[in-house]
Amino acid sequence: MNGIQSLYALSNRLNLNNVLPNKVTIWKLRNNNPLRKSYVTNNIKLNEFDALIRITVEMSKYLYPYIREILKSKEDIEENSVIWNDFNRRFIELIKERFNIDSMRVKKLLNQAENDAIIIKSLLILSFCISNQGYQKLKNFLYDF
Amino acid sequence: MNQNKLSFHQSSASLEIIGMPDYSNNENKDQISIISQWKLNIVDKPLIEGKFEHLGPIMDAFYIYSNLLIKNEIPIYESKLIDIKADNLHIHNIVLKSSKPNVKPLVLKIGNSLLSDTINCFDQLSESPKVRIKKTDVLTNIPRNLKFGLNNKVKFINFFIPPFIAICSLILFSSSFIYFNNPIENKEKKELINP
Repeated sequence: MNGIQSLYALSNRLNLNNVLPNKVTIWKLRNNNPLRKSYVTNNIKLNEFDALIRITVEMSKYLYPYIREILKSKEDIEENSVIWNDFNRRFIELIKERFNIDSMRVKKLLNQAENDAIIIKSLLILSFCISNQGYQKLKNFLYDF
Repeated sequence: MNQNKLSFHQSSASLEIIGMPDYSNNENKDQISIISQWKLNIVDKPLIEGKFEHLGPIMDAFYIYSNLLIKNEIPIYESKLIDIKADNLHIHNIVLKSSKPNVKPLVLKIGNSLLSDTINCFDQLSESPKVRIKKTDVLTNIPRNLKFGLNNKVKFINFFIPPFIAICSLILFSSSFIYFNNPIENKEKKELINP
C-alpha cells in the first residue's frame, strides 16, 4: 500500500480537495516533519492541520481491528508475540528508511527498550479517537500534548 | 410500562441501556431519557451493572483515567464508586465498590484492547441521539489557555504536531502491512508439501 496514495484517496473521500488538492501538497506536508530525512521548513496552516487530523481519525476507524490486535498481542506477549513483533519490525524498518537516524529523537524511537511506551501510547490515542467525535478528541489530545 | 433497550457494541465490549422516554417532554417513544438500568458486558469478565446515578461517574472515571494514561501522568483514578490504576503499561486494575453494605468490591483486570473497546462503547452512548444523558466534558473542551492562541497559522504546531502525525501514520501504515502469521497453519502447509 502506498502511503501518499492512501492519504490522497481518503482526503478525496472526506472532501478535503480544497485543502489537499494533489499528492504533492500531501508530500510537502509530510516533509514538514523535522524527524524526516527530507525535512523542509514550512508553516502548516490551520486548515491543513485540521485536514491531517480528519485523515488520521478516518484511517484509525478503518484500522481499528488491527490496532486492537496489536495492543492485544502485547498484552499477552508470551502467548501471542507474532503480531506485535511483525508490527514493531515494520515500524522500525519504516523509521530507518525515512527518518534521520542521526537525530536523538529518532534514536529514541529506534531503541526497543524505550519505544514500546511511545508506540503503545500512540496506538491508544488512535484507538480512543474512532468515534464520530474522534476528530475533536484527537485535536484536544494534540493541543494538550 | 414498556422499557426501551439500546445496545452499543465495540469488539469485545457491549453496553446496554434500559429506560423510558420522558413523555412529559413529548419525546419519541424509542427515546431513552429516564435510565433505569445499564449493563456493561466485557467478554470473559464479570457483568458490570448499575443504576443511572452510577453510570455518569463510571464513564467519567474511564475518560479521566484514559486521559491520564496517554498524557504521561500517573494513571490512577480513585473515587467512592470506582478505582482504576495501571498494573503496568498493558494491564489496568479496576475495583468497583458496591453502595450496598457487606458486598465485596468487584475486581477486574483489563488490557489496553478492552479498555479502548469500553471507551468506544461510552463514546457511542454519548453520541447517540436516542439516549439523553448528562454529557461528559472531560475530553470535549479545548483548554482555555489554548483557545485564544488559535490564529490562521498555528506556528507552535510545527514543533510537535509533525512528529506525532508522522508516528501515527507510520503506525497506521505498519499495521496495514501486518501479516497475521499462524505458525501452526504454516507447519501444516509445510507438512503437506513435504510429507
